[in-house]
Amino acid sequence: MKENSQDIIQSLESREYQYGFTTDIETETLPKGLNEDIVRAISSRKGEPEWMTEYRLKAFRHWQTMSLPTWAHLNIPPIDFQDIIYYAEPKQKKKLGSMDEVDPELKRTFDKLGIPLEEQMALAGVAVDAVMDSVSVKTTFRETLAEKGIIFCSISEAIREYPELVRKYLGSVVSYADNFYSALNAAVFSDGSFCYIPKGVRCPMELSTYFRINARGTGQFERTLIVADEGAYVSYLEGCTAPQRDENQLHAAVVEIVVERDAEVKYSTVQNWYPGDKEGKGGVYNFVTKRGICHENARLSWTQVETGSAITWKYPSCVLAGDNSVGEFYSVAMTNNYQQADTGTKMIHLGRNTRSRIVSKGISAGRSENSYRGLVKIGPKAENARNYSQCDSLLIGDKCGAHTFPHIDCRNKSAMLEHEATTSKISEDQLFYCNQRGISTEDAVGLIVNGYAREVLAKLPMEFAVEAQKLLAISLEGSVG
Amino acid sequence: MTFEELISSGALRPFKGGVIDSSVSTSLPLVAHNIKSLKVDIAAEQQVRLVVAYTKSCQAAVEINLAPNSSLELVEVYLADSYANITVNQAENSRCKSLVALLRSSNATYTYALNGRNAESVFDALFIASGSEHATLNLNTRHLISDCRSASLVKGISAGRATGEFHGLVYVAQDAQRTDAQQQNRNIELDNSHIVALPQLEIYADDVRCSHGSTVGYSDAEAIFYMRQRGISEADARRLQIEGFVQDVVSRCQMEPVCALVHEAVTDKLSKI
Amino acid sequence: MANGQQPNMLKIENLHASVGDKQILKGINLEVKAGEVHAIMGTNGSGKSTLASVLAGNEKFTVTEGKVTFLGENMLELPIEDRARKGLFLGFQYPVEIPGVTMANFMKIAVNEKRKYNGQQPLTAAEFLKLMREKSAIVELDSKLTARAVNEGFSGGEKKKNEIFQMAMLEPTLSILDETDSGLDIDALRIVATGVTRLKREDNATVVITHYQRLLDYIVPDYVHVLYKGRIIYSGDKSLALKLEKEGYDWLINDYKE
Repeated sequence: MKENSQDIIQSLESREYQYGFTTDIETETLPKGLNEDIVRAISSRKGEPEWMTEYRLKAFRHWQTMSLPTWAHLNIPPIDFQDIIYYAEPKQKKKLGSMDEVDPELKRTFDKLGIPLEEQMALAGVAVDAVMDSVSVKTTFRETLAEKGIIFCSISEAIREYPELVRKYLGSVVSYADNFYSALNAAVFSDGSFCYIPKGVRCPMELSTYFRINARGTGQFERTLIVADEGAYVSYLEGCTAPQRDENQLHAAVVEIVVERDAEVKYSTVQNWYPGDKEGKGGVYNFVTKRGICHENARLSWTQVETGSAITWKYPSCVLAGDNSVGEFYSVAMTNNYQQADTGTKMIHLGRNTRSRIVSKGISAGRSENSYRGLVKIGPKAENARNYSQCDSLLIGDKCGAHTFPHIDCRNKSAMLEHEATTSKISEDQLFYCNQRGISTEDAVGLIVNGYAREVLAKLPMEFAVEAQKLLAISLEGSVG
Repeated sequence: MTFEELISSGALRPFKGGVIDSSVSTSLPLVAHNIKSLKVDIAAEQQVRLVVAYTKSCQAAVEINLAPNSSLELVEVYLADSYANITVNQAENSRCKSLVALLRSSNATYTYALNGRNAESVFDALFIASGSEHATLNLNTRHLISDCRSASLVKGISAGRATGEFHGLVYVAQDAQRTDAQQQNRNIELDNSHIVALPQLEIYADDVRCSHGSTVGYSDAEAIFYMRQRGISEADARRLQIEGFVQDVVSRCQMEPVCALVHEAVTDKLSKI
Repeated sequence: MANGQQPNMLKIENLHASVGDKQILKGINLEVKAGEVHAIMGTNGSGKSTLASVLAGNEKFTVTEGKVTFLGENMLELPIEDRARKGLFLGFQYPVEIPGVTMANFMKIAVNEKRKYNGQQPLTAAEFLKLMREKSAIVELDSKLTARAVNEGFSGGEKKKNEIFQMAMLEPTLSILDETDSGLDIDALRIVATGVTRLKREDNATVVITHYQRLLDYIVPDYVHVLYKGRIIYSGDKSLALKLEKEGYDWLINDYKE
């Protein structure tokens, strides 16, 4: 039994990144480094109006006054921000009219990633805004959505086509001054998605984007803005894969979500950016700021399955501003080899009768470090606020770390807050029991890990849950099929 | 009853620190009263009862070393604004049972380093902050070697405009396999007060049983319903709950006559909130 | 046996109650007179425990329609504790643990609150202890348990005995026993049931909620009611319980049209 476990641990460490391939297409890039000229150049390439350029410059100037956050339980090698290319776009000869016009090389990449950019997507009910590097290549099902008045397009397009909406909401939830990376993102964001669901509209399909980092040494700075107007509903899926690289790549996205009165937004992420090899070489640095604001009776639910990135720094949060609003955070974070993850959520209760629920499942293997960090804050006016947090850690092997850093701050006596955390390993008894029933140790570990994560996986939309389950299996691959 | 009276009555034996071996009589509990610094070395196989009382505002540093197979029952009572730093180093098979009652604006830091196998630390604490007080209790339990056990229960009440803080850490080093560490924190917030809780786990070994829990708010609706169904008014039911909440910790004190004093001090404090 | 001349002690008319958006009680009608024993039976989820909770005033449930009169007074207007002081006792299916609060202290407050409500002097400590000893004998409750925190660390059987002990202490006019038999072995069941029977008088009444007939071997009901989907769909005498035991509920449910 001991040997068996040892084998698993070893083979876990030896798994390779399945999506590690590069697409060979030409890209146009700006020179390395960051200054006001680069910021202006990004803005002008994208044909942005003056106010947007100004916004970027303000953010850039503020960013220069800021320093890197160091409070996370992460060991981050120094990053030379002047050694990064801040803008790259795939070169395209002309505007695309139909699927046939999409670069076949690009199409093959998407196919390998399993993104169905074809008609069968209609059957799956998925509309995809695929982001390859920095420019949105193809948006589908725009017409279907347009009939309902739903806007789903790239953020660059939104800035040009719907400046009123973008101006009203951009930076309203995550200010550029919020943190080092949100300032950087505001200055240089290249593209991302914009989604607006009008009053009372239930979005008829799951909205989805896939991101990849492609060009060598390119930073990727997505900006996502989702607005669900009063009484609207949308389920939004975000999936990420990145090809294998030797040097580390920086990813600093900002996602802002506005959930107006009586509206509901579900935001699901499956993140498998390249985690680096088993020696800890390479891999993506993922520094993400995700936050939503809930107005009266609104509901925001974050679900994430994090298996990738060399370093993850990510806290999808809810500001429960309106009375009776609800925030949820469901997370599975798996780290292996030398991966480091410091992830969790912030639930800021400001309104009355606000409720939040946190379920976090950490899985650490290899020599990885996996931390849950959370804040539950109850303001003085948040009468009858409720929070329940459950943060579990599963350790596979004795060289990894699993940490829990919750922070509870309560200023209202009627609040009821409950936090629980446990740390455990897969028990020999469980493995023995499975073995005795004829299940191999590898399969047993896979089963147990999936069972452990089930509560979170169940929150994902069906087709996504299957992918997430596969991804967990891949992350345990080699021994655990 | 006060500590001064207890000491002068001869129920406790004053103690200024040093080595406690078989030459030192431990038939009575030892007491360190309003000390600035205290260093205690408990020799192997010794069983010691020690009370540290803060009845005048003070800054204190306490270091206690437990040799193999020794045991310590420690009671710490804060009846004055104090700043205290207590470190307990435990060798193999040593056992330390601590009970803390922090009843004024104070900042107390407890560090338990489990350095020897089979060491055990049990920690029970209660803090009550009222008026404009600020009570902070820091607990750092460090499992540095395999096969040690720790269990802690920290209860806090804040009332008035006070702030109560609990910072807890369970640290488990890579070699500390078969660690059993449990940490529980329960808080009640009243009036316009403020509770901060940071119960943390930092774990580098896999064969461990570690858990922690932290809650704020204690109105167990089921229990209130149960009591009211028996004819007890809602106000009385809530008062009973708070008394029960506190009693749960206070009743773990086994060192007479100090416990009676602790009980009295806690009751007195509760009557004022 | 039932006494037709007696005025109603409890009268439930068209009682509807919900939890959240879910309607659980959908029009309960029931009359209980002094000296009577009623049994309410039904499958899981039929609303039996909800009925008990609603009568006791559990704020988890909202009464959306209907009227409940207890000893001539509109009971739904009364807070939980006043219903209790007036003589309504609920034996909990899952008695609640209250850490740190001793049984003795808990009961002393409860008994004296009831006395105060009825304009009586509180019991002295000596009188109270005597009463405790006397009553704990009825259900063979280990006297050590009264020194412990309420229900904390009690076994399943001890918790149920403790409910009947408290019933004895408070001498209620109307007792509603919610699945008091669940989780009891045969000895504990006998003790609990005998305790209930000993407390029965001409001027009080008992409503027994149960899943099984076996409790009714000890506490013989005058009436048996079947609750289904929030309504009483059938009432009969004690033979109904035996028939249900033998034939199950299907014959009733199949007949019942919503």
